[in-house]
Amino acid sequence: MNKFAFHTMVLAFCCGVAAPVFAQDAQKKEEICFESRKGASEITKREIKPGLPNVKCSPKTGAALWYGDPFDGTVPMGKMPLLEKIPEGHAVIKPRSEKLAILPMCGTACHNGVGPAFNPPTLPKGKKPTPIPTMAGLLPGIENLQHGRGGIWCLDCHHTTKRDKLVDHFGDPVSFDQPQLLCGKCHGDKLRDWRDGIHGKRIGEFTSTGKKRWFVCTECHNPHDVQDGARNRGFIQLQPESPPQLPRGLKDAKHEKLHPIPH
Amino acid sequence: MLSMSSLMGTAALMVQSGDAKAAVEWAEHFQKNYRLMTAEEKAEARARLERRYSAEYGKQVSVDTTEAQPGVLMGYALNIRKCIGCRRCVKACVEENNQSRGNKPGERIEWIQVLRMERGEFSKDKMNHGYPEGLGIQVGGNAYTPAGAVLEGQYHYEPEAVPEKDATYMPIACMHCEKPPCVKVCPVRTTYRDPDGVVVIDYNWCIGCRMCMGACPYWARRINVANPVLPKEAMNPVTHYLGNRPRMRGVVEKCHWCLQRSRHSRYPACVEVCPVGARKFGNLLDPESEVSLILARKNVFRLKAELNTFPKFFYFYD
Ligand code: SF4
Ligand code: SF4
Repeated sequence: MNKFAFHTMVLAFCCGVAAPVFAQDAQKKEEICFESRKGASEITKREIKPGLPNVKCSPKTGAALWYGDPFDGTVPMGKMPLLEKIPEGHAVIKPRSEKLAILPMCGTACHNGVGPAFNPPTLPKGKKPTPIPTMAGLLPGIENLQHGRGGIWCLDCHHTTKRDKLVDHFGDPVSFDQPQLLCGKCHGDKLRDWRDGIHGKRIGEFTSTGKKRWFVCTECHNPHDVQDGARNRGFIQLQPESPPQLPRGLKDAKHEKLHPIPH
Repeated sequence: MLSMSSLMGTAALMVQSGDAKAAVEWAEHFQKNYRLMTAEEKAEARARLERRYSAEYGKQVSVDTTEAQPGVLMGYALNIRKCIGCRRCVKACVEENNQSRGNKPGERIEWIQVLRMERGEFSKDKMNHGYPEGLGIQVGGNAYTPAGAVLEGQYHYEPEAVPEKDATYMPIACMHCEKPPCVKVCPVRTTYRDPDGVVVIDYNWCIGCRMCMGACPYWARRINVANPVLPKEAMNPVTHYLGNRPRMRGVVEKCHWCLQRSRHSRYPACVEVCPVGARKFGNLLDPESEVSLILARKNVFRLKAELNTFPKFFYFYD
């Protein structure tokens, strides 16, 4: 290799390293924090009024810690049976589909109804998801689906022909923005509690007809991984915020572990 | 007796002497107990505070004085099975309510405590290990390994990730009792219960005697032993007189269900950040509110119910 080429390489290498650093700088200015669970929904910090942000992020865990504007980036929820009593526009959600980057391609690029000619369509007999290399590439670990304890598979939730949609009780397509219409198929008790505000999360105005942002099922639960793993209670484990200040004169909190219950 | 007008006269004199700060301090020092103030006096106090805080924190600070709304009795419910102990509620409360956040001892104040408790054991193989031997499981769990029925536990837990296996988390803050022991003991009556169910403090009248801290069975009250440390950029400029306005050294503070929000129908800060939706807030007089529905439908208990404090904060589980 001649000297010139080597220098060019070094230069290119440096630029290659430098570019992401600059990019990081740009990103740093834009503070983004995750809401319920990591990877589901995010919110970008901005000012509503001088000195009043729309959100505050945790410097330790990156979680949203405080909402100045609870309706940031929301759209009307859409029709929901038995929620008709809520005035128009008072139930809003953050669209899930915007977060699902490949969704617009699902129904056109691969599952466009042309594909391998299934005529008549033959579907797998078993409930175990068949390993499909492309899907496994897009969704690592999907062949080991942690939902339904082996009793369900992809097309119990995803629409057979319209792959950018979910599917409800009657085989009709459901938008990814309204997963509750699908999840309620099996988890009816949870759907009822969610509708009444007992299960799940809502932010905004607390009066029963007030304007609220509703968190939909998949903002808190990962539908492909909800079963007990290294966690309990159906919610993915996350990093906690820092503990309270130690009482004056104490170096650590060992005394707390000396409680008298023999285990 | 000193009349208000003579005080105002003195204050005006001092303003004329050019010492505006002294005038404000003078007026504040002789301010009446908030509950006894007339609407005009409240408006005056409000304007004074807004001016002072705005100058101090370098932004437009508002001090709300909205009264309890008729037809509202606030209530809170927390799903004890859902809480994962992440402490986001604790930090949200600090962001919302302008607590002191220094690093020296006594300078960091948090109103919510999250207590981590060992889960009691009801394991199959121990079912028969109760006392006396052979008679099966005893009330409150196995006699040798009681269920987490005692309020013994850890506040300073710090694992990589929560929830931990075999742990239960119990957040505790002011319970907004219907018969609050703190109100009974306060010698200057600066803490009282408003008609919408919130137990509030007029910080200006607090003498820092800490009687209420001793009386509260729920360890809800905190005192500013040091000068509160509140960075300008972190200060929340939307405040309420009885709520999150900046406090001074030597006064007691505690949860007030985010009055500055809840008096305007907004959820408290801790409700809004809880990632698992364990925290529920609403109007107990509205049968359709989420808290009313929880009381109607779920298994509910109040902490230390035997003390007859009648908290408006309920714990529940599915
Ligand atoms: S209601 Fe408000 S003041 Fe009370 S604990 Fe929650 S965040 Fe803090
Ligand atoms: S934010 Fe919710 S889950 Fe986290 S400690 Fe508080 S109540 Fe528990």
